[in-house]
Amino acid sequence: MGTLEIETAEQGMKFFGRMSASATHEIKNTLAIINESAGLLEDLSQMPGNRKSGNQTADRENSLPAHRVLDISQRVTRQVKRADLVLRKLNKFSHSIDHGTKITDLGETVGFVLDLGSRLIEMQGTRVELVPPVLPIRVETHVFYLENMIWKAVEAACDAADGNKQVTISFGNDPHLPLILFSMQAVKKPSMDALFTSKQDKYLMEYLNISIKKNKENNGFGLVWPKSI
Amino acid sequence: MSEKVLLVDDEKEFLEIMSERMAARGMEVTTAESAGQALSLIGKQSFDAIIMDFQMPEMDGMEALKAIKDKKPELQIILLTGYATVEKTVEAMKIGAMDFLEKPADIEALTKKIKKAKAEKMLIVEKQTEEKIRDILQRHGG
Repeated sequence: MGTLEIETAEQGMKFFGRMSASATHEIKNTLAIINESAGLLEDLSQMPGNRKSGNQTADRENSLPAHRVLDISQRVTRQVKRADLVLRKLNKFSHSIDHGTKITDLGETVGFVLDLGSRLIEMQGTRVELVPPVLPIRVETHVFYLENMIWKAVEAACDAADGNKQVTISFGNDPHLPLILFSMQAVKKPSMDALFTSKQDKYLMEYLNISIKKNKENNGFGLVWPKSI
Repeated sequence: MSEKVLLVDDEKEFLEIMSERMAARGMEVTTAESAGQALSLIGKQSFDAIIMDFQMPEMDGMEALKAIKDKKPELQIILLTGYATVEKTVEAMKIGAMDFLEKPADIEALTKKIKKAKAEKMLIVEKQTEEKIRDILQRHGG
């Protein structure tokens, strides 16, 4: 394995760790709500009037209000669905490593990365808007490292965004010239100057055959591929 | 007297259930969905303990912990987190967190920690009052 592959693999591991940690944290939050919901039911069942007295009529009259039970069970169902969604995303993400190199739709991949990292984006306090491409844009690339590169670009854009702290992600119009555009209303100059200048960033871009282009107004940048299929 | 607790978490549903469970255990619970909201509340109300999620949008637990301790050093803060790493726990304790609990937390264990937090806060307040009285007496030649 050459330096390029080793550096890229190391970055990939860090990316995988960051995304998995965020997803597992969210699952822990759902488990905490489910746990407290079970606890609340237990608390309610222990309240005076809800303990079994042996008198069937009295027990029926004093039983837990149905609307509370329904409310708590709906809450549990919501959290189970939420955790299931997080796990599905995490599973899809894990499998992107086994896919290796394949023909990939850029719009779908950006959408998936944004969905996967939504909690991290929210934590940062930035809003990211995705404008999907009109026509599918396909590139042949390593799916996992493409996700890594897109995430790096999202993080860099969020970090650089100033003003209304909004990042808009759009695509070039020519499906044969793949291009992902990151635009911000205003940017922090130092963050824009430092954009993709590290050795690791350069390795990843070289591995994926991507170049970076800053726009003329310097309030955005694009990830550019030489050609698509 | 009941414990006055400020519960801070960006998970609204968690706040709703936890506050109901804590209230059922005799606590007076106020909730905040962000560290910023919590900081504003501690300026207006008095609390015995703060139970705070460690990872929240805008201001994370560590920053919030520093800000609260700067404003009200006597306040006892118990951090709740999905995963507690040793490094983070040590760092938080150094800043002044009273304790750490992992989610999902056991309500009885949390209740015990809140009672301990109240007792510790009262000790600090008593000590502060004693120091103030001593200072006044010294200034007046007592």
